[in-house]
Order: sequence, then structure tokens, then C-alpha cells
Amino acid sequence: MNPLLAVENLSVSFAGQQAVDAVSFQLAAGECLALVGESGSGKSVTARSLMGLSGGTVSATKLMVCHEDALALSEPAWQKIRGNSVVMILQDALMALDPLRPVGREIEDVLKEHSSLNKSQRTAKVREILAAVELPEPERRMKQRSTQLSGGMRQRVLIAQALIGDPQIVIADEATTALDSRLAALVLEQLAALKNEGRAVLMISHDLAQVAQLADRIAVMRAGQIVETGPTEQILNHPQHEYTRTLLRAIPSGVPRFAPLSAGTPVNEPRQLAPASTDSAPALVVENLSKSFAKHPAVVEAGFVLPRGATLGLVGESGSGKTTTARLVLGLERPDTGSVTLLGDRFAPHSEAARRGLRENIGAIYQNPLGSFDPRYSVGQILTDALSAGRSKRATGYKDQVGRLLEQVELDPVLSTRNPRELSGGQRQRLAIARALAPEPKVLVLDEPVSALDVSIQATVLDLLDRLQQETGTSYLFISHDLSVIEHMSDFVAVMHRGRIVEQGPTAQVFGDPQHEYTRILMTAMPRLR
Amino acid sequence: MSRTAKILSSLFILFWVLTAFAPSLIAPADPLAINPSQAFQAPSSAHIFGTDESGRDVFTRVIHGAGDSLYIGLAATALGMGLALVLGTAAALAPRWLDEVILRVLEALYSVPSLLMALLIIAFTGPGVGPAIVAVGLSTAPGYARLVRSQIRTLKNSEMLEAATVLGRGTWLKVRNHLVPNALQPLLALVTLGIGQAVIWAAALSFLGLGTPPPAPEWGAMLSAGRTYLHLAWWLSFFPGLAIVVVAAGSTLIGRALGGKVKAV
Repeated sequence: MNPLLAVENLSVSFAGQQAVDAVSFQLAAGECLALVGESGSGKSVTARSLMGLSGGTVSATKLMVCHEDALALSEPAWQKIRGNSVVMILQDALMALDPLRPVGREIEDVLKEHSSLNKSQRTAKVREILAAVELPEPERRMKQRSTQLSGGMRQRVLIAQALIGDPQIVIADEATTALDSRLAALVLEQLAALKNEGRAVLMISHDLAQVAQLADRIAVMRAGQIVETGPTEQILNHPQHEYTRTLLRAIPSGVPRFAPLSAGTPVNEPRQLAPASTDSAPALVVENLSKSFAKHPAVVEAGFVLPRGATLGLVGESGSGKTTTARLVLGLERPDTGSVTLLGDRFAPHSEAARRGLRENIGAIYQNPLGSFDPRYSVGQILTDALSAGRSKRATGYKDQVGRLLEQVELDPVLSTRNPRELSGGQRQRLAIARALAPEPKVLVLDEPVSALDVSIQATVLDLLDRLQQETGTSYLFISHDLSVIEHMSDFVAVMHRGRIVEQGPTAQVFGDPQHEYTRILMTAMPRLR
Repeated sequence: MSRTAKILSSLFILFWVLTAFAPSLIAPADPLAINPSQAFQAPSSAHIFGTDESGRDVFTRVIHGAGDSLYIGLAATALGMGLALVLGTAAALAPRWLDEVILRVLEALYSVPSLLMALLIIAFTGPGVGPAIVAVGLSTAPGYARLVRSQIRTLKNSEMLEAATVLGRGTWLKVRNHLVPNALQPLLALVTLGIGQAVIWAAALSFLGLGTPPPAPEWGAMLSAGRTYLHLAWWLSFFPGLAIVVVAAGSTLIGRALGGKVKAV
């Protein structure tokens, strides 16, 4: 049969800069191909050029989209195809929908453009398609605006919008990336249904684990080129290219604690929890912690204990109260009720002056480290500032210590004169870790520390955190929405849902035999390779 | 800023500082010395900017006028920014009700066109260099104050200061190391832009006879005096006007370059 998509030697360049380099693949009806690679690998540009939206200089020996020569298509001809024969589901549903128009109208626009149906026929069709994607109460929801819908509903609307033109090819560009596992599972389910209906699905993702469930074939992209392509089974179990192996190794789910995720990391000895001396207090005790914002409860009666030298993973969906919990623990918000005890000393609620002396025992790492650095400081100055307790950013006599810190987080000392803006995402996070380690804290609070990083960079940062914990015995409160990261990093897990900790216990127990209904839903939605 | 831009702006600033403080180095003649026999001489090698109705050398007067014009510009900007720093910082750090009060006052002041407000102030004080400074300074303050306030508020709630809190920094260290330097840096560009604007306003007030009184060589006043003879001696108005344009455009360009640098940060 004729493939719906036939790409041969596709190259795209921007102002002489090659973004996609001689990429070839085919996609037939009822088939799913996944383009996997890290940010900047050219996968999104590839997808966009299939819709005539790349914005760069496109060349190819062959570029057939729905049996039409895409290289020869004029802009009006493209408009006929886009949203009709070929559709794209984007990552961010809130951004992709007009906040001022009812979602039903947004969907209907496609029909106005591409069909000859009259108004009532169009409305009926919209209702039908919303019911097909299992949006509850389609009649009521189609009259609402995107901001009035939950994330899951928006994602369904977006899929409905993509489907209403009865497309032959569906391109999902990181459609599951920013979603927590439950929503991601929902989208994957919808995409699977599309495939089974005989449509061609092209998935774009940086996450091998996520595409593995759905894709028939996987093409691994790096630096604009496809380095390896083959059936999913073969890519996952017998990867040929070194880079594919790197990506596979980087997936944390099912990898035992302290086993390395990146190639450069030497294998650590599996380690027992540091035998805590019986008289020393736990690193962190949180009791009955509650916090509301304008009567809206963010954290409700949360309580947990972080033993010394161990990692407690706090997992939950966005908006479940994880970050508020972190801020309460760090003394950045005043709790309504409850207390935080750090190494046996009362930490919160307390006046800032009273707890300042305890601050050197607790550090924090954020998802976006750049915002936490003074923009005027160089890497070396940031660390000097941290080491000198803020007395100076230029203090002499800290040069050796700065060098040691950089070495500890595996950053090249020549970077110390650079500004953090010039560093990559992974390097910035290493710098943030180095700064947090400067006062030699006993506890680190890590709020989504690797969520903004590509899988392979994430792997190296997680390996670094593992190594540092083994060397220094620092306790981690590790917050993430990513179950596989939590499973790999944590000795203990606490699951948060709507501000409450619904289940907690040793990692193996919570993941192996979840007791709470919500935990079970989360676990089944988690993509697993191993 | 590129290296050339840095050198050029440094030279520009150096030149005007020199003319303001030691005009006689560049134009040794007396700016007030009249010589009726030499009146209305067109620009020539003897008088490169020509002479005015009393035979005074226009070049000498333009150079000597720099002192007054720049003094009013700088002093007014300093006054405006000083007031703005106090009001803006107070509003940003004050409790909510006080913030609201200060904001409303600033908005009320802001709603009056600046030049109109300057005229109003001079109506009370009478014309002169001092009143011109106060007038221009006061009328620019509300705009600056709102910027200072938003700048400090943004910084106050920034992750950067939060990170400093987590590292155990006290209020004093946070203000000294992070808040003040980061708030001032963008304001520096603004001040440079403001000086050009203030020079124009000072000239405008003098032009209207409300700033420096004649026969002192002030650019706005010279512009105004030359207006009468525009049809027979264009150079009387042209060269003071050129000086205003050069200073205003120069400070704007430098301000923009600084602003660009700040934005890149």
C-alpha cells in the first residue's frame, strides 16, 4: 500500500544553520511512528515541515504528504490539507485554545473551513466528536471557554479539534510531555484509538518510555539526523546505536536505587541506609502541617518523617500541594497549623531571625535554577557568595573551595568566570546544587529538580545527586510529578493528592502494593519499560 | 555596548563635562561682551557660529551656555530620581494601604502633563534657574517613582531573594547584595535617558522666559532671542538648537545602549 507519508532526504536549515539533515522515513495508515530525541535534535522541525510550517529552507528528494507532493504545494493548497488531512496536537492545551471563545466554536471553525455543512449540522457534529473523546457533558462543555475546563478536559477538546476534520495523519508534538501521568495516559489512550481507526500517527517525544506503549516503529534523532530506526521491540531490546543505548539507560523507572543511569557514572556499591546513631533526631519531622490561601486549602494536615541520610520522595499531580509543602518546610510560608522540626530543632513556625542560625543545615534546589541566581554574578561569584555567607562575592581565599565545589558537581573550573545564562540547563542545575552544598547542609529540599531537563541530562543529574548523597550523607526531600524518577531516587515515598498525603511508606511497598485508590490510579498510568 | 560605542560615549560625556565646567578652555572669549559693529555676522572663520544682534559670538555663547543647560538637566533629573527612589521604595515595601495611597497620589500627579505642572509650579515661585530645576524635577518624579516601585516589588518577590533567604541571609545582606544593585542598574539607563529629556524641558522653560533670564547664555533663551531675527540670521537659533539636539540625542543613545545591556541581563 502507498504510505501516507513518504520522506526522503529531508533537510531543513535556518539561515544556513542545518536543523534537519537528510532525514528519511515512511508512515502508512494504521501505523504509529515515534520520532524520539532531545531538545534541539530537529524532531519538531521535521514534524512542522510535514505541515509546511517549518519556517526554514526545506529541501528533499521526496516529500509526499497524503499522496501530494508537499514540496510543490502553494500556501492555499497547504491550508486545504492542514487541519483536514494532516493535524497536529500540541503540547500546551491552554495556549492552543483561544481563552475568549467557547471551545465548541473553536472546534467548529475547522468545519467552517473544510466542509459544506450548515450551522446545525456543524453543532451536531461538534457534539458528536466531543462525546467520542469522552468529554463529560459535551452539551454544556462546548459552550464553555478553555479557561473554565480542567486540564484533562482541555486535552480532550484539543484532540476533538484535531479529529473533527477526519484527518488521515495525526502528528502529536510532545502532546504528553507537560502532563502528569494520568493525563498522559489519557492522551496515549486517545492516540491508540486513532491508530486503531486506521489513521497514521506520528509521535514526537523526548521520552522513550512514553512512546514505547504506542509506537510500532521508533526513529531516534540526534543533531538533525536519524541515528537509528526500527520496530519498537528491536529498539528497546536490541538497540544498535550507542546514543539509543544512552537514552534507554537514562530512563529511571525500574532501575534500582543508586544504580547509575548515565554511561559516565561508575557503578556505585548498593548501599544500606547510614546507620543513624540512636540518639540523633531525624533530619526532618513534619507534623500536621496545613496551609490555606484565601480559604483555599493548599496543604491539609501533612505529616512525614525524613530519616538521616535517606530520601523521601513526595509525588503528586500539579496542584496537589507539593510545592507549598516544600515552601512550608523551607520556612518561606508560615503554616496555619503544624510544625517542622529540623534535626531536632524547631524550624517552623518560627521567626526568621530565630531560625536563621539553623538555615545552614537546609538547602533548596528549584526547577528553574536561573531565576534563583543574581543575574549580575558569575558562576564563581555565586559560589563565593554562598561560601562567604554573603559577606562578599569577590572575597579572596575562597578560590580553592570554589574549585572543589565545581569539581564535586562535575563542572569544569573554567566555567567559574561565566555567567549562569551561558550555561546549559544541566550545568545550571549542577551550579545550583554546588551552591546549596556550600554551607554543607544536612537536608536538601529538591523541588522538581530535573523536570526541565532532557532525559539523558536528567540521568546525569540524578546520578550526581546519588553520588553526593553517598559521599555526604545528606538527606533529600525529593519532590516530583514523575513517578519513575521518584521510584528510582527514593527510600520512602509520600503520595499527595489535593493537599493531603494519602499514602506513604517504603518505596518498594508503595510502588509494589499501593493501598490507596489514588495511588493505584497513578501507578497504572505510569509508563514502564522494565 | 561595543568597544567603539563605549569610547564614543565616553568622549561625548567628557566633552560636555569639560564645556560645562571650563567653557573658557574651548571658547576663551567673553560670552557677554557686546560689539555692535560686528552684529549679525554670518558663520565665518572668525565666528564659526556667526554673531548675534549685539555682535556677541554665538559659538562662545553656546559653549558657555552648556553649564546652565546641563546643570538644570542634571539637577532636575537628580531631584526627580531622588524623590522617586524615596516614594517608590516606600510604596514597594510599605503595607498595602500605604502603597495604595502613594500610588493614587502618583497617578494623580502623573495625569497632569509634565510641562503643564512645571508651568504651574513656576506660576507660584516665579521664573529662575532654581524654580526651573524644581519644576522639571517634580514633574518627572511620578513616572520614575512608579518604575522604582515595580522594580523593587518584582525583586522583592523574586526567586533570587527567596534563594538568599534559604541560604540564611539576613535582611541587610539581601538589600545590600541583591535588591539595591539589581534595582539601580536599569534605573541608570533611565536616568541617562531622563537627562536628555530634562535638558529639553529646561530649554523649553527658558524659551518661554521662565527659566534662566537673559542675557545669560542659556540655550533655550538663546533660541527664543534668535526667533525674532530668524529671517535674516538663521544661525542665532540654529546653533543653540543644535546643541540641545546633540545633548538630548546623545544621552538618549547612551541610555538606550545601557538599557539594551540591562535587558540582555
